[in-house]
Amino acid sequence: MRRFVLSLALLGLTLGFAVAAPVEISLAYPVAVDAPITAMLKGWAQDYMAQNPDVKVTLVFSGGYPDVKTAVQTAIQGGAKAPTLAVMLATDVYDLVNAKYVDSLDDLAAQAPGGEAFVKDFLPAYMGNSTYKGKLWSLPFQRSAVVLYYNADLLAKAGLKPPASWDQLGKDAQALTLDNGKTRWGIEIPTENPYWTFQPLAIGGGKNVYTDDVTVNFNSPEVIDAVQFYIDLSHKYMATPAGVQSSWGTSTQNFAAGKTAMIIHTTGSLAGILKGARFKVGVMAVPGKKPGSLASVTGGGNLYLTAGHSAAERKVAFSFAQFLLAPERVAQFSAATGYIPNRAAATSTSAYKAWLASVPQAADAVAALDAAGPELATQDLNGVKTIFNKYLQAAFNGTMSAKDAMDAAQREADKALDDYR
Amino acid sequence: MKRNRILPYLLVAPTLAFVAAFTLLPLGEVLVGSFFKQRLNIPKFQHPVFTGFGNFASLFGDPDFLQVLANTGIYLAVLIPLLLIAALGLAFLLENDIPGLGLFRLSAFHPAILPMVSAATIWMFFLTPGYGLWNQFLHLFGYTGPQNWVGNPALALVSLVLVAFWKNVGFLMLFFLAGLQNLDKSVVEAARLDGAGGLRLVTRIILPLIRRQTLFVTTTAFIGAFQTVDHLFVLTQGGPSGSSTLLLYYLWEVRFDRLDIGRANAVTVIMIAILLAFTVTNFLASERNEN
Repeated sequence: MRRFVLSLALLGLTLGFAVAAPVEISLAYPVAVDAPITAMLKGWAQDYMAQNPDVKVTLVFSGGYPDVKTAVQTAIQGGAKAPTLAVMLATDVYDLVNAKYVDSLDDLAAQAPGGEAFVKDFLPAYMGNSTYKGKLWSLPFQRSAVVLYYNADLLAKAGLKPPASWDQLGKDAQALTLDNGKTRWGIEIPTENPYWTFQPLAIGGGKNVYTDDVTVNFNSPEVIDAVQFYIDLSHKYMATPAGVQSSWGTSTQNFAAGKTAMIIHTTGSLAGILKGARFKVGVMAVPGKKPGSLASVTGGGNLYLTAGHSAAERKVAFSFAQFLLAPERVAQFSAATGYIPNRAAATSTSAYKAWLASVPQAADAVAALDAAGPELATQDLNGVKTIFNKYLQAAFNGTMSAKDAMDAAQREADKALDDYR
Repeated sequence: MKRNRILPYLLVAPTLAFVAAFTLLPLGEVLVGSFFKQRLNIPKFQHPVFTGFGNFASLFGDPDFLQVLANTGIYLAVLIPLLLIAALGLAFLLENDIPGLGLFRLSAFHPAILPMVSAATIWMFFLTPGYGLWNQFLHLFGYTGPQNWVGNPALALVSLVLVAFWKNVGFLMLFFLAGLQNLDKSVVEAARLDGAGGLRLVTRIILPLIRRQTLFVTTTAFIGAFQTVDHLFVLTQGGPSGSSTLLLYYLWEVRFDRLDIGRANAVTVIMIAILLAFTVTNFLASERNEN
């Protein structure tokens, strides 16, 4: 009898817990950006849990985008639960959907209060990678664009205006190069993973490097022209280190230290650069080939809902996404990082206005978005990227001519994409 | 007393179960999987389709993979002998009683306690184009060559060898040092009395006596060099243009970047075959010397 009562009590306890157990969700975030993002996200998670006592949010911070993606993949393949929400590259959508690593958000957006208006408020330039096969898969989270940063003091001292064409960019950079680069280079473009910072050159030359998920334009005359312009920057204008030299991290340091007069980099580095630079920093879209034309390219990460979660978890995850992407928080996030606000409503918040007032360059970074084309996004994206990077670097390093390299890149990428056609 | 026939099996059972579950079973799965085409990010190849030796044929017909094999071969062929010679040399030097011995031993050994990622990060600063320590150091000798080693197709692999060498030489030295310290001093003394000195003493007496350590160090160095690609992630990401991609990094790319399960299995099989061939040859060669 005593045993019976005991088990009954135990059963009751378990049931009681089951009813009161909070819904647990987690968010995986790639933390490799130099801004106080972790503290901010932790604060927001606390705020959300305070408003929703029946929810427990765990934040999982890992190195970079590939690490988050690998974590999601391994969890799902191993039959474990992946982090409910994950910030991964916006352009990874095809691989993620095809491999069934992520869930569509359509039903959640339809059911959540204000869900559809919320989705409609995101900037169209950033929604390009969010839909596939007619479904919504991700929400723009931390989006950026590639811009030209210039040392306005140096330009003014040399009597130069910000460049308005490729030729002028080359000449300005040449004029600002000192001592064959030993004291100062005119321009640096990171080349260790070059496809992204190269894209504004291709777009500025007249054609983006891809058209849709199965069509790349690597050997179009415009793209070859852009590769040649990059080579000319070192060989004709003598204004940048020859070959694969500039790296992602050192180029911003060199720029902030005045050792490089201009760099092509992400808007995501704005806060870091402004903190380090002791001169007036100018920000603009990258000049195109034709005088007066401008070009940029979008980039950054989106918020995905991973596959394999219960209805309750999915619902809470979407509600947490809405919370994180509320206009006020989007504006705060932009101010702290330099990432461009991803929704229209954020631009009318007081946080956004305060940011523009204190950092005038922010408006220039946002304006660059008007000239932006989409970041390379194809099926088998990593395969295609590896091919493109390989031949871009071969051309930059002079082991192949621009045309031969791009012809080879086109051939290999076409072969890789054959399976999807 | 009758010997218990079951007991020995019972005693090895836990180990056997462990090895079966975590080594043999996955090995079998990989071997079987290498004969199937399966790509998670291509809808029509989501489920495995038998392809015979298709994965292997496509690998050996792919110039990129052949380059990876060549890179790995060069990396090992340069790194392992360098490591062995330098570790042995250091062990000889640091076996002697010299002033400040502890400090020297510590400085030779300290990179070994760093994780590879930290070692590679330190070297990333050393190798920074322009003002990095490495370039400054080379300037002292009149070096005017390329500044960015990790971005140069001819030097990227060399910079990986540099880091792996710096990181591992102290650790391997330790085994040689232990071997030398355990040598029967009377044998060496006797050889000296017989007139053997310098190089002859080393090649004829000492090296054969520390054969076991050498076998261990060679195998460890080889497997270690195969298994460590952390510095690649930090320094070169296999570039530029694939000139520093090593086999294990390639495997990671194929499996996680391209979601090509079949090909990843085939690469794993090739890698295990190479490791097995090396270990067995090394062991046999050493045993033959024994007899």
